Amino acid sequence: MPGYAAAPGLSARSAPTPSCSARMPNRPDPDFDYNAALEQCAAGRRAALEALYRHEGPRLLGVAQRIVRDRARAEDIVHDAFVNIWHRAGSFDATRGSARGWLYSVVRNLALNAVRDGRHETAVDDDTAAALDARDAIDAWHDTRDAFDWRDSAGRIGPCLEQLEPVRRNCVLHAYVEGLSHSEIAQRLGAPLGTVKAWIKRSLKALKECLA
Amino acid sequence: MSAPSPTPDNLDELAGEYVLGTLSAARRRDVNARLPHDAALRAAVDRWEERLLPLSSLAAPVEPSPGLWPRIAETLDRQSAARQAAQATRPGWWDSLFFWRGAAASGLAAALVLAGTLALRPTPAPGPVQYMVVLVAPQSQTPGWVVQASAGQREVQLVPIAAMQVPADRALEFWTKADGWAGPVSLGLIKPGEPVRIALDKLPPLEPNQLFELTLEPATGSPTGKPTGPIQFIGRAVKVM
Repeated sequence: MPGYAAAPGLSARSAPTPSCSARMPNRPDPDFDYNAALEQCAAGRRAALEALYRHEGPRLLGVAQRIVRDRARAEDIVHDAFVNIWHRAGSFDATRGSARGWLYSVVRNLALNAVRDGRHETAVDDDTAAALDARDAIDAWHDTRDAFDWRDSAGRIGPCLEQLEPVRRNCVLHAYVEGLSHSEIAQRLGAPLGTVKAWIKRSLKALKECLA
Repeated sequence: MSAPSPTPDNLDELAGEYVLGTLSAARRRDVNARLPHDAALRAAVDRWEERLLPLSSLAAPVEPSPGLWPRIAETLDRQSAARQAAQATRPGWWDSLFFWRGAAASGLAAALVLAGTLALRPTPAPGPVQYMVVLVAPQSQTPGWVVQASAGQREVQLVPIAAMQVPADRALEFWTKADGWAGPVSLGLIKPGEPVRIALDKLPPLEPNQLFELTLEPATGSPTGKPTGPIQFIGRAVKVM
């Protein structure tokens, strides 16, 4: 089976241990050819899908579980994702992005769709949120500490995150990593909804400029 | 969709918030529906996915339970058995699928033959009684989706087995109707190409021969509560031993 590593021991290697799991790098493994694995899936080779699962499954499950916050539901998401990956592997277009990124986008989309559709948005509209006493909240934000150990995250985005104020950084990370909606972040931080929306919008803009 | 045509800036904002996950359910559905046709939006989403991907490492890996891979493999086995069965039964009365909606008898005949074909296959089928529905396109009889359910489980799983496209301003709506019912009941809007689980808690238990179909409706769903658009895929529930 040339082209991708299918060694059964891979999943054991990526098993988390309490001391290092939070720091486990989530970078592309140079020894694993994600593109070749998807090509083989598209050609109907089930072993290639299993190799992807053994290799990336624990990290994908971790991403799903953080968003849906339930082990059984997260496994349902990963199940659906791999069924999806199997059927859609032929439509993966390497010119649009990395194969590995595509796997994560399939899982994240399913997880986000599930929480957005299932977890009815808390009805905090802009007016209600604006009526909250922003003043009190601002004091709390000033000493907001990092909610995520984000410095271990790979790639060029690290220094760009560094440039954001901690509270804005936390907004971005609560959204991306935990799948929280605007209103859930607002509740978590005790901040007005409109402010959270503006922070996220500006943070994305800043990240984009920094990464350009 | 009624928004003015997007400038590159707010297209990029939309893509960024879509990937970040902060769009509301409705706006998310809107983007999901636009993506297959909107190359600029798709490119913006692709770029955001690559930008933010490193943040995935902040979620600690979780070792899947030992049963997860066998479950995935079993779903794929069952789907390919269903697809083969649907293709094997294509000639003859399978062509009359277009009329299944009205002709319960021919639908039942097709269902029974499909059940027979499936029973011959070594398909593992956990749970007491399982139902399976192959939804096929009425014109081409191409299987597009599979519905799976256990009798005891109060949900069905709808799994795509072929790619399909839905116009940006339209949505797929999922319907079911058992023989004795007055009319079809909506099971909600479905995203093309994505498997979905749907709770049936407000409906009576699944019946053999129960009709399932996907119709093309306005983006927010049928305005009347009944199917108004053309049938895209249709099939009837079959018991699988």
